[in-house]
Amino acid sequence: MNENEKRKYIKGRKLGEGTYANVYLGQLRTDPAVLVAIKKMKVQREQDGIAYDAVRELKFLQELHHPNIVELLSVFNSKDQNLNLVLEYLPLGDLESLIRDTDRVRYGAADIKAWMGMLTRAVWFCHDNFVLHRDIKPNNLLIAADGEVKLADFGLARSFADPGVNMTHMVITRWYRPPELLFGCRSYSGAVDVWSVGLVFAELIIRTPFLPGNSEVDQINRICQAIGTPTEDNWPGVSSLRSYAVPAEVYPVPDKKAWMDRFGGVGAEGVDLLCKTLVLDPNKRITAREMLEHRWWRTDPKPTRKEDLPRSKDDGAKKMGADLGRRPGAVEDENRGSKVARRLDFGAK
Amino acid sequence: MACNYWDSTQRRHWQFTKDELAAMRQKLEDEEASLVQMFPLPQLRHLNIHFNQQINRLGKRLGVRQQPMATAQVYLKRFYTRVEIRRTNPYLMMATAIYLASKTEECPQHIRLVTGEARSLWPHEISAIDAGKIGECEFFLISEMNSQLIIHQPYRSLTQFQAEFNLSQEEVALSWSVINDHYMTDLPLLYPPHIIAITAILLALVLRPTNGPGGPTGTGANSANLAAAAAQLAQVQAQARAAITGGSGPGTPGGLQGMQFSSAAGEKSPDARFNKVTRFAGWLAASSIDIEAMVDCTQELISFYECHEQFNDKHTRESILRFVKARGL
Ligand SMILES: Nc1ncnc2c1ncn2[C@@H]1O[C@H](COP(=O)(O)OP(=O)(O)OP(=O)(O)O)[C@@H](O)[C@H]1O
Repeated sequence: MNENEKRKYIKGRKLGEGTYANVYLGQLRTDPAVLVAIKKMKVQREQDGIAYDAVRELKFLQELHHPNIVELLSVFNSKDQNLNLVLEYLPLGDLESLIRDTDRVRYGAADIKAWMGMLTRAVWFCHDNFVLHRDIKPNNLLIAADGEVKLADFGLARSFADPGVNMTHMVITRWYRPPELLFGCRSYSGAVDVWSVGLVFAELIIRTPFLPGNSEVDQINRICQAIGTPTEDNWPGVSSLRSYAVPAEVYPVPDKKAWMDRFGGVGAEGVDLLCKTLVLDPNKRITAREMLEHRWWRTDPKPTRKEDLPRSKDDGAKKMGADLGRRPGAVEDENRGSKVARRLDFGAK
Repeated sequence: MACNYWDSTQRRHWQFTKDELAAMRQKLEDEEASLVQMFPLPQLRHLNIHFNQQINRLGKRLGVRQQPMATAQVYLKRFYTRVEIRRTNPYLMMATAIYLASKTEECPQHIRLVTGEARSLWPHEISAIDAGKIGECEFFLISEMNSQLIIHQPYRSLTQFQAEFNLSQEEVALSWSVINDHYMTDLPLLYPPHIIAITAILLALVLRPTNGPGGPTGTGANSANLAAAAAQLAQVQAQARAAITGGSGPGTPGGLQGMQFSSAAGEKSPDARFNKVTRFAGWLAASSIDIEAMVDCTQELISFYECHEQFNDKHTRESILRFVKARGL
């Protein structure tokens, strides 16, 4: 059956490269107009089994089917003992390239509402199925030909059905990592993804990363300055987290006006939702389900229809160049570092 | 477990009827008729008991919890619905299944550690094993399972029902051990996890947890216990049947309410127990749980406990070793 699956596709040019996989364009042999993405896992050291990330991506994508989650179409092995995941082809790049292209891509509150709606539904669906994504960031949000945003890259995802089970805190790219993980908390929930969603939201509005820390300590400092210092007052129990450490100067949680000044582009309701995703105490942070019930979605402007959303001005070839060129950037480096750490951390759940 | 059972690949692709299962196995045997002829094997239940014990031994050495070991057993079952067992080295497949399950159940073991422990546990069974070999088998295993890796276990359903039915620690432990035992049967390929869990609870409530620690479980249980368990199960089955045919409509607690259970001497509070069973029966009658499926699970467990007595580990291992050695697997 495997051979048959493999023969169904013709592998084309390279679309991009991630930590543990190369992604190629593919066509259906019987109908070359049908395009797919073939994610070929890199061989690890000869003797090792299949990468942990690959197992995670495989097991969750097999089960999760949702319009805003990248669809796994098939799996086959190639001769060199490599797993190949056949994914739906998402040709319009990712949210990061839209956010960054400030010269050529213009968008407004209605567009942000549409993108945020799709992202929130994806995250709600994951959490409803007891799956934490643990790596939400603009460049893991890929865009389909019709403008639909799809959450991709489940290489760090895990299930959280057993409450109280210890998990590694070495997840989520630093800029999107919530304070509880930075403080070494190992028993966490969907709130970690919600924080990342909030930072994507903020980034969509200001078109630059909101909290681009250049180290874990710097990340905590930036959170304290922008969102307030986590203390026993606003977050009971925080000071007993393993690596709780905050700057000596205690910053207050900013008031509504400060938020409005910076993020007012999405209106008062939008800012209210943003604040609720960026609550320091994970127990008080809004859940993905509550996010979907927020008034913002129902206040004007209405979200843009996905077909009418702004698109990337890059063609595919340039996009790939950008991807390959984006090597030693701070985010990627850190991300790779954390993945390596996790991979060796066999004790962590 | 993660994700929703109702939409799961388990429900859609790995839940079979008995006939389907029998047909798949027949087909595999037919395709390898001469191998089957040359290397007779004990009945499947006995092979499964052996696999269960061996996987548990390897799992214990590795410090792997119950859940990954259960997952490894289901992987093995799925795999052998696709591949004739005599074409493989079951010990190598067991090591591989544990290795993969440790990853999917979020407690990854290093491949070299698994290899080392497997080699020292099975010095005769797997002679030329190295990490590369397990890596290779992992591909084989994943591919035959269509890379569908999430297994929904009854353990979680049990935890959920524990509060609902106010189960005591003893009753939970007994239910838990019935669930452990069901991995030695075909039940994981036949019924959804919640049916298994509810059957296990029914048995735990009706069976007296006086069989000593562990209850009427396979491993280490003596035959007297097993015979007692089988007898009790037969009684439960008759009562469950009566419950279905009792024509109880929704809301009206049916025949199970009248379920008899001999109140043994030394029983501390038979009333409390009775209330619990009554409550359970009422819940069952009002629910849309497939009682016929529960009856069938019970029957399957009875046959299992009965045939457990004839299990001969040495004989089973030798029959496996014959084809492993002869074919250099
Ligand atoms: N379905 C798809 N359609 C089109 N392009 C894709 C698709 N999936 C991935 N890509 C491209 O391949 C690149 C690498 O893929 P991906 O990010 O999934 O790998 P990864 O190893 O999981 O990444 P990371 O290291 O960022 O976690 C992406 O940046 C994207 O450009």
